[in-house]
Amino acid sequence: MDAFLQGAAVVLSPETLIYMLVGSIAGIVAAAIPGFTVTMAIVLTLPLTFAMDPLQGIAVMLAVYVGGYTGGLISAALLGIPGTPSAVATTFDAFPMARRGEPGRALSIGVWASFLGTVISTAVLIVAAPPLAVFAVRLGPWEYFSLIVFALTIVASLVGHSATRGLIAALIGLAISTVGADPMMGQPRFDFGLEVLQAGLPFLVVLIGIFAISQLASEVEDAGAIRRGEKVVTGSIDFRVWDAMRDVVMRPVNLIRSSVVGVAIGALPGAGGSIANLVAYDQAKRASKTPETFGTGTPEGVVASESGNSATAGGGLIPLIALGIPGSAVDAILMASLMVHGISVGPRLIMDNADLVYGMFLAMVVSSLLMLVVCLTFMRAFLRVAEVPKWAIVPLVLVCCVVGSFALNNRVTDLYLLGAVGVLGYALRALDFPLAPLVLGVILGPIAETNLRRALMTDADWSLFFTRPVSLIFLVLAVLSIAWSVRAHMRARRKADDRKEPA
Amino acid sequence: MSDVGAERDRTGESGEVARLVAYVALFAVSAALFVEAAGLPVSRFERLGAGAFPMIVHGTLMALLLGAIVATMRRLPRAAYARFAADIRDWAVSRRLVFFLFACLGLYLAVMPVVGFAPATFVFLAVMQGVLAPKTPVAMGTALLLALLFSYGLNWLFAEVFNVFLPRGR
Repeated sequence: MDAFLQGAAVVLSPETLIYMLVGSIAGIVAAAIPGFTVTMAIVLTLPLTFAMDPLQGIAVMLAVYVGGYTGGLISAALLGIPGTPSAVATTFDAFPMARRGEPGRALSIGVWASFLGTVISTAVLIVAAPPLAVFAVRLGPWEYFSLIVFALTIVASLVGHSATRGLIAALIGLAISTVGADPMMGQPRFDFGLEVLQAGLPFLVVLIGIFAISQLASEVEDAGAIRRGEKVVTGSIDFRVWDAMRDVVMRPVNLIRSSVVGVAIGALPGAGGSIANLVAYDQAKRASKTPETFGTGTPEGVVASESGNSATAGGGLIPLIALGIPGSAVDAILMASLMVHGISVGPRLIMDNADLVYGMFLAMVVSSLLMLVVCLTFMRAFLRVAEVPKWAIVPLVLVCCVVGSFALNNRVTDLYLLGAVGVLGYALRALDFPLAPLVLGVILGPIAETNLRRALMTDADWSLFFTRPVSLIFLVLAVLSIAWSVRAHMRARRKADDRKEPA
Repeated sequence: MSDVGAERDRTGESGEVARLVAYVALFAVSAALFVEAAGLPVSRFERLGAGAFPMIVHGTLMALLLGAIVATMRRLPRAAYARFAADIRDWAVSRRLVFFLFACLGLYLAVMPVVGFAPATFVFLAVMQGVLAPKTPVAMGTALLLALLFSYGLNWLFAEVFNVFLPRGR
């Protein structure tokens, strides 16, 4: 109880609430601009939290996180362009609803569904994280190593168009993590006498370079669209706040089912909102008595997609808090923010820093409330901000990325790394390699190596990885995730070939 | 098959050739690093040395890359290689702004430690926005204002509010 009160005192202080409000607005606005993801918004927030108290910093980032998931809805509903990958299914019904003259209703239903989805996922997080952490403390290095193998294979197989490219990206990430001193004995590796490589590649610089720089570069691919400086949002929008709330609350089964789908998928390392919204939408359509109305602008579809993707926010924190394993790139940045403040993230987090964890739970609830208030009050103003043309926003965000990378360690060499990693990220993106497995590989690499070497220092017998039950389960799941992905890709290719033949 | 479909297939094949080149390049780098890892000294205190984990990673990576190289080569028709040079040229021309962005970014990052954050950022933003923006007086004025705000303004904010000093130049 003391820990909860300590956490609540920080989160509910006026200063933190003001910062969270600003964070919520920033997350909504950033994610509302097509091409700008929640990940990028969080990356840009990180350097601003360095000077804050750890819990205050993480509360602000959670506010950006929750706001960002809702912001993706804006361009999805009004333009049919998902502002973030997690809003893809939202375009299926919110956009037709907006096109037939109800843009305000589409946005309001989405906002309420997002709010309730986040609240449900936070409730599950509070119940599930502590017992899972108690279980995780009993795991040995064998289980941890196998868990990381499973996490990487599932990320690699779920994201992108090819399991092979996903696995290659994850292994490139692991290879990047081996540059610099080795994590057990401090032996220098792969630095080739270059100062820039001696300290290793800081994973936040890799994260900013891979995600933000490559994304910004891809935004200027269409020279004509940039130079025209087209406006993104036009027309008047009428909000019906309470009607929309009724629309959502009167569909309790859909709301709860989609939220549970979001939590479950969010808790799987690597899955996250981009998959949850599609699965939740699919489940809602299968369970509906009128599946033919899906895709024509039905509220059922908007509720399923938005509650599903917002619920992954709470779900993704479960493995982070309980196991110290970030489930997605956004969770990895949250983890980085704690590490910057000297807090070690792992199963003991909840025992050693209970005030911080309870504060995070409370910050999730406060963030979703702030998001709701902000959206319902200032939505019209946000739509004007989302009109900022790409020619202005791309160079400005590039500068923010540079500042963020430098402010991390005050090292000029990090800036050179940022540029090089940005080029690598763009090349991999252009070659259709998924980037999330690479970043998770960089983060999980040192943890995997430490646990592998520790396991073999404890007992030189390799077979223990296969004879200890929990370790074996993770390894079997890793193999199954690859097999499932290969089967799914082969079926998709066969279908594409069948479609081509009759032509 | 329609013309559009055939065109898409050709572009897809050129993409596959580009990936094949990337697989071969990655394989070469990975093999070199595998050899480098094998040469790292072994500790007497533990079974695995500093080179063991990198060797596992690069070994697995090379196996996957080899599989991908063989699969891609079996899939691609010979004509795809001949078309690749022309397609890559078209691709590079259509993405000239991306190359311009990376060139400006490289120059900006190289010059910043010498001239300092604020002047380097001002020039970078003014040039980038000047090139990307529509050529109207309003857009140009806005670009200059934003460049001023995000260079000297940001520098002041970080120094005075966050106590983080961005590069000051030599």
